[in-house]
Amino acid sequence: MGLLIIAAYYFAGEGLGSSGGYRDVAIGVINGVSPEYAQANPYTAPHVADGHSPTNTWLVFELLGVIFGAILSAALYGRLKFVVGKAPHITNKKRLYLALLGGILWGIGTQLGRGCTSGLVLSGMAVNSLSGYIGLVAIFGFGFIFAYIFKSLWIKKN
Amino acid sequence: MEERLFQTARDIHGLYPHVHIWGFPIATYLFLGGLAAGILLFATLYYLKGKEDNMPFTVKIAPIFTFWFVIIGLMLLVYDLHHPKYVLELFTTFRIESPMSWGAWTLAAVSVLSLLWPLSYIDDIEAYLHERGWYKLDAITKFLRDLEHKWLIPHFIIMMFRKYRRFFAWILLFLSIILGIYTGILLSAFNAHPLWNNSILGPLFLTSGVSTGSAFVMWLSNNKKERKLMSTIDMALIATELFFIIHMIMGMQAGPEAYKQAAHLFLGGEFTVIFWVIFVGFGLVLPFILEALELKGKHIPPALPAILVLVGGFLFRIIMVAAGQMSEYPF
Repeated sequence: MGLLIIAAYYFAGEGLGSSGGYRDVAIGVINGVSPEYAQANPYTAPHVADGHSPTNTWLVFELLGVIFGAILSAALYGRLKFVVGKAPHITNKKRLYLALLGGILWGIGTQLGRGCTSGLVLSGMAVNSLSGYIGLVAIFGFGFIFAYIFKSLWIKKN
Repeated sequence: MEERLFQTARDIHGLYPHVHIWGFPIATYLFLGGLAAGILLFATLYYLKGKEDNMPFTVKIAPIFTFWFVIIGLMLLVYDLHHPKYVLELFTTFRIESPMSWGAWTLAAVSVLSLLWPLSYIDDIEAYLHERGWYKLDAITKFLRDLEHKWLIPHFIIMMFRKYRRFFAWILLFLSIILGIYTGILLSAFNAHPLWNNSILGPLFLTSGVSTGSAFVMWLSNNKKERKLMSTIDMALIATELFFIIHMIMGMQAGPEAYKQAAHLFLGGEFTVIFWVIFVGFGLVLPFILEALELKGKHIPPALPAILVLVGGFLFRIIMVAAGQMSEYPF
């Protein structure tokens, strides 16, 4: 991961990230549906101000590369199949609903915290940014608490 | 002060800054037409090669879908018209020099034949469904069998079709090629739009349509040999498609200024990323690699390369319809 971060800074001039790519795609969709709204909204406006497509960013390309590479790597090592990864005692439906809910919380959280595990912590710490270290403590600290609360979804009580 | 009203051609809706007349319905129709052409080409070709029992899905089952694809495509075409009633006028004449006339008559003939083709196999289709534990469609198959056995005219038509199926297969094979090429010719006949106006577009759309057809069969067939054959054919088609695309862009680059500007839409212009990264990368190269890995014995879910090819094919039509309208001769 360290080498990847160095390579990203060297070749792209930016760190790694994932939530930013989703944000850019979401803004791209908003801009496609209603350019006037995207221009007026204070959150989306800076991303559509220069006249370029909001999806024309390094993070979107990085995510496309991640999807391409993940499919290729799984295919090469015989792991390419459609499965819902979950604990055996919960249903697929429950798992998918909870994943959607988790994803929504992740989306809101990353935008309030200005980045996710990769953008805020990994790339932030790589440039010795204080927010990266605070993010690390917050993400992993709350991660332990949340894991404790939701462990029944993964481990069956006997 | 005197008030003056100015009206210029630029005020006409959908004309400025560039023509924007065709949108989603036309792109969808071009995709469905190509897909139907691909499925019918394989069905008739393998029937004529005597493989109807070895490749039941390709020859007997897949064509069931083509009638609906063609009908939905036709409905989208009519929906796009300003005066839908005038569509009937296309069938009051045949003009050999008009691609639209060719298309209208081909579509009409294909829709009739693609309905009769699966109807003539109704017993085999029912047996195929029962073999796989599908009894939900029994009411439909029974109704269609009754239609044939109880009514004189349908009985006569289907009986004749069955008797002369080989003859009709040749006609349908020919028509499916025309239909596949026609989706490209329809665009390339527009000489005011340099991106469309090139002779490789017909073969390119045909190849792309046949590729989506093979992906469709590969996805839904559960016969391993059939899937493997379709996968191999699809790889060859993707390679041909890539060759045509590069050839098309090279041809434009070597052409006059308007053509260079048309190529620029894909070489740094507005459609560069979506064309090369999404369509070529995810819709051609990735499925090609996955299909190659499958042939080498890796386990790949057939739905994945198939869906990539189908979505890529659809995206290709959307891009070509949108970019072509933007490409114009400089004022």
